[in-house]
Amino acid sequence: MKSNKVSAIVFANVQGEHLGDLTAIRSTASVPFGARYRLIDFALSNLVNAGVSNVGIITKKNYRSLMDHLGSGMHWDLDRKNGGLHILPPFNDENAVRYTGYVDALNGARNFISRCNSEYIVISDGNVIANVDLYNAIRSHIKNEADVTLLWHKGEIKSNFSDTMIFDLDNENRINNITFNDTNVGEVNFGFGLYIINTNVLIEMIDFAYSNGITDLKFAFFVDKVKKLRIFGYEHKGYISVIDAEENYFDANMDLLNADVRRDLFNTDRPILTKARDNMPTRYGTRSVVENSLIGDGCVIEGTVKNSILFRGAVVEKGAVVENSIVMQSAKIKENATVKYSILDKNVLVGKNKVLMGTNGDALVINKNKEI
Amino acid sequence: MKRKNCIAMLLAGGQGSRLGVLTSKIAKPAVPYGGKYRIIDFPLSNCANSGIDTVGVLTQYKPLELNDYISSGKAWDLDRMDGGIHILPPYQGQKGGDWYKGTANAIYQNLSFIERYNPEYVLILSGDHIYKMDYSKMLKKHIETEASGTISVLEVPYEEASRFGIMNANEDDSIYEFEEKPKNPKSNLASMGIYIFTWEKLRHYLTEDEKNPNSSNDFGKDVIPAMLNAGEKMMVYRFKDYWKDVGTVDSLWEANLDLLNPKIDLNLSDEKWRIYSRTVGLPPQYVSSNAKIENSLVTDGCEIYGNIDYSILFANVLVEEGAVVEYSLVMPGAVIKKGAKVRYSIIAENSVVEENAEIGEDPAVVGSDGWGITLVGDNLKIGKNAKIGSNKMITEDVEEGKII
Repeated sequence: MKSNKVSAIVFANVQGEHLGDLTAIRSTASVPFGARYRLIDFALSNLVNAGVSNVGIITKKNYRSLMDHLGSGMHWDLDRKNGGLHILPPFNDENAVRYTGYVDALNGARNFISRCNSEYIVISDGNVIANVDLYNAIRSHIKNEADVTLLWHKGEIKSNFSDTMIFDLDNENRINNITFNDTNVGEVNFGFGLYIINTNVLIEMIDFAYSNGITDLKFAFFVDKVKKLRIFGYEHKGYISVIDAEENYFDANMDLLNADVRRDLFNTDRPILTKARDNMPTRYGTRSVVENSLIGDGCVIEGTVKNSILFRGAVVEKGAVVENSIVMQSAKIKENATVKYSILDKNVLVGKNKVLMGTNGDALVINKNKEI
Repeated sequence: MKRKNCIAMLLAGGQGSRLGVLTSKIAKPAVPYGGKYRIIDFPLSNCANSGIDTVGVLTQYKPLELNDYISSGKAWDLDRMDGGIHILPPYQGQKGGDWYKGTANAIYQNLSFIERYNPEYVLILSGDHIYKMDYSKMLKKHIETEASGTISVLEVPYEEASRFGIMNANEDDSIYEFEEKPKNPKSNLASMGIYIFTWEKLRHYLTEDEKNPNSSNDFGKDVIPAMLNAGEKMMVYRFKDYWKDVGTVDSLWEANLDLLNPKIDLNLSDEKWRIYSRTVGLPPQYVSSNAKIENSLVTDGCEIYGNIDYSILFANVLVEEGAVVEYSLVMPGAVIKKGAKVRYSIIAENSVVEENAEIGEDPAVVGSDGWGITLVGDNLKIGKNAKIGSNKMITEDVEEGKII
């Protein structure tokens, strides 16, 4: 594949409004996940593993932490002379409209789209946890001479707030009908904001939205064009989680404690890349007890950790107990403190003998840098 | 080209034959250390942290893995437009070419590389040691004392001094004599193999040394003594922190386990002095409900279902249920299967210890006479129920049930 035949656009600010404090200070895409990642690492790695090396990232607000995470793109091999990583912040022209919706944002990226001079654009939401074989999806798009190829997964929809599309497919994987998720409908073929679209069709989609006054409803265009364009599906069979609420954020983290999920997500042929932090390995002290947990490098564990996710550089001191919790980067749990069903954001400090208790289904969230 | 103040030349060509099967396929500086590092990460990180942005890495023995590891130097922030990292293998010129004959000859063969940067000073390093050192402090002393050469030294116990190159120095730290492995050492200042030379001086003495057919072209044996004889000002730079030569299987094992000793100050994630390494795309480590890990270091990609104590597990190691790993190093990609026991051993990269095999022995159980660390080479298979005693070096697959 010629290097810039396919370019990509990733949405960094999707569905942040129900992630509560996790997105108070950061974009959805830079929410920490899985002991060493940020949500966007999955979208970026999927693209890079498919050989897509020209990527625009649409941001809206709070993108400082995202910029810090992405840097020059070197950790994804996206520091390129030709292509590479482009952050696309809102463009303030005389109308000074910040992106109000999906189509607005795409319209703001019009310059990027036309400059990259690619035949195909991959559009990806930045809040999807999945290891997708995008390489073969792109090949299938080209082989089908499709206008659009929408990735789909068969299963129950766990995301609560996304305007999830549900597809009817024929034997040739062509999509005949698109509906939107309104109720829990059991097992369906649902989309997850990842598709391959011919550049000219993408431009047409943006124009369609403008001429019809649509700024918000993401996929009205596809519903309208389903009979007129060649719209295909491509099945993603592996694990998937769309993060759009605190509950499914918590659950998706805990899914990583399942060996099958890890094997699927951390497929060695398609590694998930992230920013290197050069921590030393994690140190387990005398009498440390760790059970069923996922742990990043650079942690120091002298207490008890069960059914939890510990990010890089977390510290659990002697006598401290962490259960069913997510402990983000460099958070510290001091001696004899207890943390259960909680999400501790970066650099949180839980003092000696303190007790933090959330409940199953309603985890307690402690904001970044807070001292308890 | 812009003139550089100081550039580093890192001697990475040594075979490290005393590391046995660990260096049968890779050069010694590429040997894994400390869970996620290789030995060469230490001098390279020290350079980056000391503000030295131009490093020539002289390779010779089995350079493939080392070249691949160093790549563009990105991992150590040494991918620079001006300077950066350069791999320097021996090469052919119009008058033929030669392997690097000794440490000094290796530098001599790369005179033209150094000349391109026309530095004031050259720092000579090796890829054999584990230590964190600010070379800029040593350089400062070299400049302040207007020395021709400055040699970094470590105080060693007198009883061990005869294993080292010893610098005999005056009270003002100027060196009056160098003795290689003296029987009756007059001082305990051991050379650490880290030298700073004023480039103009070094160029002169390297050229002279090359003309001498009787020279072994070695810094310690030839060049430094020649400079002392000629009356050049040579100084010691006293280093006080952790430094360990990892030239043997035992010392490599020890230097790794030193990371578990709270009394030894070797913090590798000190934000002020990070040791960088190149690891790409590995998931976090997983510890299962049945696992028990104490006093150990474990890194990315590991899956632990067994019992680990006083050990270092490198990337992507799998320890299955009921397996025991104690006082051991398990290098990247190795697998310890159900019920296997690994004690006082080094399992090299990608080797598989099958179910219920037993490797190595506890000196407290078998007695310290003739006891030693057992080393299993890379990409080997140790069959089910096989038993391998202490102080063994395994270089080929071991059949099921075999006792060695």
